[in-house]
Amino acid sequence: MTSAVPPPVRSEVLLLFRSLLRTSREFADYNIREYTKRRTIDAFRQNRDLSDPSAVVAAFSDGKSQLEVARRQVIVHSLYAPKVKSVMEIKH
Amino acid sequence: MASKHLAAAFRRTSRLRTLSTASTAAAHPLPSAEAYDDGDGISMKGVKIAGRPLYLDMQATSPLDPRVLDAMLPYNLSRYGNPHSRTHLYGWESDAAVEAARAQVAALINASPKEIVFTSGATEANNISVKGVMNFYKDKKRHIITTQTEHKCVLDSCRHLQQQGFDVTYLPVGPDGLVDLDQLRSTVRSDTGLVSVMMVNNEIGVIQPMEEIGKICKEFNVPLHTDAAQALGKIPIDVEKMNVSLMSLSGHKIYGPKGVGALYMRRRPRIRVEPQMNGGGQERGIRSGTVPTPLVVGMGAACELAMREMEYDERWINKLQERLLSGITARLDGVVVNGSTERRYVGNLNLSFAYVEGESLLMGLKEVAVSSGSACTSASLEPSYVLRALGVDEDMAHTSIRFGIGRFTTEAEIDRAIELTVNQVEKLREMSPLYEMVKEGIDIKSIQWAQH
Repeated sequence: MTSAVPPPVRSEVLLLFRSLLRTSREFADYNIREYTKRRTIDAFRQNRDLSDPSAVVAAFSDGKSQLEVARRQVIVHSLYAPKVKSVMEIKH
Repeated sequence: MASKHLAAAFRRTSRLRTLSTASTAAAHPLPSAEAYDDGDGISMKGVKIAGRPLYLDMQATSPLDPRVLDAMLPYNLSRYGNPHSRTHLYGWESDAAVEAARAQVAALINASPKEIVFTSGATEANNISVKGVMNFYKDKKRHIITTQTEHKCVLDSCRHLQQQGFDVTYLPVGPDGLVDLDQLRSTVRSDTGLVSVMMVNNEIGVIQPMEEIGKICKEFNVPLHTDAAQALGKIPIDVEKMNVSLMSLSGHKIYGPKGVGALYMRRRPRIRVEPQMNGGGQERGIRSGTVPTPLVVGMGAACELAMREMEYDERWINKLQERLLSGITARLDGVVVNGSTERRYVGNLNLSFAYVEGESLLMGLKEVAVSSGSACTSASLEPSYVLRALGVDEDMAHTSIRFGIGRFTTEAEIDRAIELTVNQVEKLREMSPLYEMVKEGIDIKSIQWAQH
């Protein structure tokens, strides 16, 4: 079996949080951008009080893989972003 | 390491932003010379809008979740093998992906992976269920029970069977859209081969009492088929608790790709069907044809996501639905919710606005993508048959609007939709002489219109 992975320190968690939020801001699509931001904040808030170290490690690694997915998808979406934006983004 | 490459790739692609896609290349043959022109807007079918409309039509289809697209892409790029190729790596890795997706779909409905057959969508799964079951047991079973509010593909399959000589009973529904269980019980005959009731209606969002219907079917030993296209991933589904023998599932209603669906077929007790697609015997002979690996992987990823996010999505969508309904009813009277308010899926809100004409309301709501009636029936001018089955008056049926809220809908979009809907309805009512008469207290139904 693998040796126990040490749980992430506070600064690592904060860095992951900030990276996810920064990546979500780069999405070309209005709806996906808003969803990723909201989901990140709610997920970190929900997991704030996790005490079991293995649960913390699992949540952190899940967050890191989500960050990779988000980074890739930001690129894919930007390649095919429509010329005209959503009405929600146009000044009313 | 990989992130550095990604960052560099992103910087490169930012400079590629001025590349136009294939659609604009036809209109502007010199791609790199055109700069963005955001102030232009879109003009299509005589309608000009400043930007892409906000999407509130989740029952018609849903956007692809980026996590689903991420799972699908490798199978469109380098892992393009046919899952039925047994002799090389391409086939093996494709097959492994299909089987993994099968397990993901099965997990969401508490079934075994061996009970899932991939199809091209819920329509095909419905066809296999209705026509396949009745044709298999056609010597002993000649009767089908279904409801008047089923999806067109189920009703059309039943009509096809009627032409072949089977008997079909179309159960009426109450004004709340729910099936009467006692009526169902009294309709079952000794030669009933199938009962088909959809779990969540696509037009009005009503959730049928599947567990009670399942109990009745178990009592009379009749197979139960349900079209769960709108229910999958949104409400908890348990094929054991509901005693379902056949279930149709759709990929593109749960933020997955279009063109893929699945059919759940119970193994204990085994339900047999006559295949509608003959060929090389793929999918255990039930549905021949190459299984589309990218689509199937996408559906599996969407199902796994739905399992994880179901509770969170429901809380969010419920909040938005309450906001939408209270926002509209606070400023307008004469608004009716079609279908039961207790037993309904939160993401579907079908409203009728009295004294307003439906087509003109839709024309005024061009910045909101909603639908009136279902996408399947909108080609004809008839009011929706579902609303007619509910007993809704013709004029109210014509003014129904279906708001579909989903995972990616924002509060700002709901507020904008309320604003646009209320303004348009008020504008139309101001122009309406009928509304003037109502405000003066005249009862419209008692008017004797002059015949010319």
